[in-house]
Amino acid sequence: MTPAIDEDRLSETFAALASSTRRAMLARLAEGAATVNELAEPFDMTLPTVSKHIKVLERAGLVHRSRYAQYRPCSLDPEPLEEVSTWAEQYRPVWEARFDRMDDYLSRLRFQVRTNKNND
Amino acid sequence: MTDRNAHDTVVMDRSFDAPVDVIWQLWTDPQHFGAWYGPEGATIPVAKMDVRVGGKRLICMEVQTPGGQVQMWFAGEYREVVANKLLVYTESMSDQNGEPASGVPEGHPVTTEVRVELWDTGGSTRMVLTHTGIAADSPGAAGWAMALDKLAAHVRSFLQRS
Repeated sequence: MTPAIDEDRLSETFAALASSTRRAMLARLAEGAATVNELAEPFDMTLPTVSKHIKVLERAGLVHRSRYAQYRPCSLDPEPLEEVSTWAEQYRPVWEARFDRMDDYLSRLRFQVRTNKNND
Repeated sequence: MTDRNAHDTVVMDRSFDAPVDVIWQLWTDPQHFGAWYGPEGATIPVAKMDVRVGGKRLICMEVQTPGGQVQMWFAGEYREVVANKLLVYTESMSDQNGEPASGVPEGHPVTTEVRVELWDTGGSTRMVLTHTGIAADSPGAAGWAMALDKLAAHVRSFLQRS
């Protein structure tokens, strides 16, 4: 396992990405920063609902909100997405280790076969 | 990797100095399977494997941790079984009865699929393993993966500009 990957955060990223609304918001933010009103535009949703979605994205670290600008624009932080892409890569060292053990086990089996033959 | 599922799939290609039927047994005979599958120091006290299409599998992995012994259970089903050639099964975290483990967040790849392809290369074996994070049959998986691909493309173009 790669220690650099935070399982809880990864789960949060996946949970955040599990909504088509939130993915659409991220796609919009990939084109540049936007205010909550701008993000709400394509959706038939109340502002509080939109805010809730943004909060989920913020908690997952996918969206960053400026603390100082008057309209607190949202911007995209792609870093957690890169961790998502390495999720599958976590399994590479796991399988490597398993296959090494498979090799060791095959050697033991061969040794047993040889020993049995010699005893015949 | 360049295939469209690159974000949720890991592919391993490896050769073993053993005939293909031996490698097949290592995957399908519970006793052989338990001998290599777990990480170093782990044991496989339970390996129930009904190796036929639709057959169930239930694996228990026991690991020693500083906090004591921990048991992890994995349940799944065989999807494709062609002796000495192809084995496909699903796998999910489960309890000891094979029921899905609780507490997996929405959208997390709950079920994974393991695909093992074997080729006889003149007495030794080439094995290609494909482990996919989102099973083809999980609800909305295909759409989800496509959406994520689109998003990744957006993010890449965003990174190139900044």
